[in-house]
Amino acid sequence: MTDTPLDFGDPEDLERLRNDFRAWLAGHPLPERPADEPLPVFLHRWHRQLHSGGWVGLDVPEQYGGRGLTALHQVTVSDELGARGAPGVPRIGYLAHALLRFGSEEQRRRLLPRMLSGDDVWCQGFSEPGAGSDLAGMSTYAERRPEGHYIVNGQKLWTSYAQYSGLCLLLARTDRAAPAHASISAFVLPLDRPGVTVRPLRAANGDDEFCELFLDDVRLEESERIGAEGDGWPLAMTTVAYERNALDTGHLSKYGLLIERLRRAAHERRKLPDGLLSDIGRCAVDYQVLVAHARRRTAERLAGQSAGPESSVDKLLMTRAEQRLYETALKVFPEELYGEGGEVLGDYFYSRAASVYGGTSQIQRNIIAKRLLGLPVGPRA
Amino acid sequence: MERDEFTLVRDMLRAFATRFRSGSAGDIKAQTRTDAQRALDELGLSGLRRTSPPAATVQECALLAEEHGRQPLTTSLLGTALLAPELLRLLDLGERAGPVYGDRPTVALAGDLRFPDRDAVGLVAWDCDGADTALFVHGEGRVTEHELGAPAPTADLLRGVRRASAEGRPVGRLTPGAHQCWQAYALVVVASELVGAARSFVEQSVDYARERHQYGQPIGSFQAVQHQLADATVLVEACTSATRYAAWCLDSETPGRALTAARVAKAEVNSSAVEAVYAGMQVFGGIAQTWEHVAHLYLRRVLVGATTLATTPDLLTVLAAPEATR
Ligand SMILES: Cc1cc2nc3c(=O)[nH]c(=O)nc-3n(C[C@H](O)[C@H](O)[C@H](O)COP(=O)(O)OP(=O)(O)OC[C@H]3O[C@@H](n4cnc5c(N)ncnc54)[C@H](O)[C@@H]3O)c2cc1C
Repeated sequence: MTDTPLDFGDPEDLERLRNDFRAWLAGHPLPERPADEPLPVFLHRWHRQLHSGGWVGLDVPEQYGGRGLTALHQVTVSDELGARGAPGVPRIGYLAHALLRFGSEEQRRRLLPRMLSGDDVWCQGFSEPGAGSDLAGMSTYAERRPEGHYIVNGQKLWTSYAQYSGLCLLLARTDRAAPAHASISAFVLPLDRPGVTVRPLRAANGDDEFCELFLDDVRLEESERIGAEGDGWPLAMTTVAYERNALDTGHLSKYGLLIERLRRAAHERRKLPDGLLSDIGRCAVDYQVLVAHARRRTAERLAGQSAGPESSVDKLLMTRAEQRLYETALKVFPEELYGEGGEVLGDYFYSRAASVYGGTSQIQRNIIAKRLLGLPVGPRA
Repeated sequence: MERDEFTLVRDMLRAFATRFRSGSAGDIKAQTRTDAQRALDELGLSGLRRTSPPAATVQECALLAEEHGRQPLTTSLLGTALLAPELLRLLDLGERAGPVYGDRPTVALAGDLRFPDRDAVGLVAWDCDGADTALFVHGEGRVTEHELGAPAPTADLLRGVRRASAEGRPVGRLTPGAHQCWQAYALVVVASELVGAARSFVEQSVDYARERHQYGQPIGSFQAVQHQLADATVLVEACTSATRYAAWCLDSETPGRALTAARVAKAEVNSSAVEAVYAGMQVFGGIAQTWEHVAHLYLRRVLVGATTLATTPDLLTVLAAPEATR
């Protein structure tokens, strides 16, 4: 924590980038979405369009298809998209970082440009039926054969958008004897490989989001392993830290738009349920605090502080803002509950998952207690 | 200020605070108050915002207010060193109607400690250790000088509050922009002191959770305790981000934007600083329920602080209005 002044303002080059991006957006509006087009398919078209303008992977080095700028530049782009109510940049930042840090030079050159352009669509195969919070307890096993390749058996769960993906960042155990955190390895799994079955699961809001992934004697080559054997755990920790980051928040400005909608709706109505106005005010506070918080993180990053366990604080604040906002939205638009159920109801359901995905809220609290506050390890928690 | 200069000033204030902190409610006596105030005055901080351009940024002042809030202190840093001089500076930009007679003004607030909404009755001089007069900003930006009267009761045992004369001598009027700046600045400075208090008290309770043993182990190893402290930490971080950002807005953005950011910060602090102190007190258990323990000094400070200048309902109502109608 810094206790000297910080500069919360946008550096000049970010302002310039924002203007360039605005100009580009003016000539490249959001494509139409046909009624029967699944959201991920639509988002994929949008991803390609953004990439064609050079707006994906700004923080990835140029030799791997990016623009060699910083995470802040990427955030500026997401911000601008959110402010216009457009879908954000594809959330691949954390995958790209895992590859950058752990992949071989050959893998980075082969995989990253295709990831950024959308030629390859990726999903994340970490969680299992028996290993959610306790990810290290996973049992999917990649057995190394004397010839050098691996044979993988096991089951993954909650793999978001696997049905629309070509590649999966897969975690599997490569050693049954070693302690959990040293025995997990990471692989690139092509989902059309023999032995892979993808079964979509319907989410509470009715969308097909996540999947079950069955792996029966799936063959993976040694060249498909990312990093060394045993690198899977640190790789997973890198990706989740990025997922939780307050900076990776294109959806922030989306909250801002919804809040202004709630304010206007309340303003136009004659009679309001008790306390609704202060609920809306509270949502505005949550949102603006989040904006201030993201700016503070940015400023700290620019002042040379690196990202660490405090991303758990960021995630809890984000969850607080999102869940309270959609709870309030349902109070302002109760017809979402007795009518057909529109976008707000769908987003409301998704907000309930905010305290589960990317590590549950209790797990974030455990991380804060142990790693930020240095509280002692207790009886097995 | 240069970075080094700021660090120097902050460290001076920190050393002062460590020396003059009240270890318990029993330590708070007239003589110790006077001594502490004299020592603080010697640091010469009232010049930080008196000149134009000011010697310190709002963010620097906010950080000093945070530092002051970290320890139970009876001294008036806010009223006499940070708020009144800034008010005089802002007045210099508007119209002056008369001189200020006192040597060391603090600020006056409505009797309920809030910004006045109509012509306020029952003024009080707030944070007035070491002060000899009080400046009051009326709802429309008019500023008057008031005489100090008898001590007024307040639940915050550390804060000096006195009655102020109903009649005031005209001092001048703030321009509308300066009035917004004034409100934003006051909100930020008051909120910052509460952030310092909440952060420090949570840190003390984390330390306690490491040392205190029950069932043969530190209580900080119990998950129920850990989660309470983790939640308190999140709240303190939220308060910190919001107030420091609002302070920066005053240095760098329009008065209107700064005022919105300051209202957001005060609203966050009003509820979260109190919540965080509750969590810390729960971790201390029975000991925190005694008169001797510092816990209630912190609780009193954040509790009264949460109603000072603007209450949560005041702020949420404004923040719920559509942008266009504000
Ligand atoms: C919308 C969504 C998308 C997802 N996408 C993906 C994806 O793409 N890829 C992927 O790999 N995973 C994904 N996940 C899975 C997600 O990471 C897990 O659901 C999450 O880590 C929790 O695991 P679990 O569901 O098994 O719950 P469990 O771990 O069984 O937890 C159940 C309850 O017990 C609590 N609990 C568990 N352990 C502790 C502890 N030590 N201390 C205190 N409380 C504890 C939890 O907080 C929770 O409340 C997704 C989940 C959702 C909801």
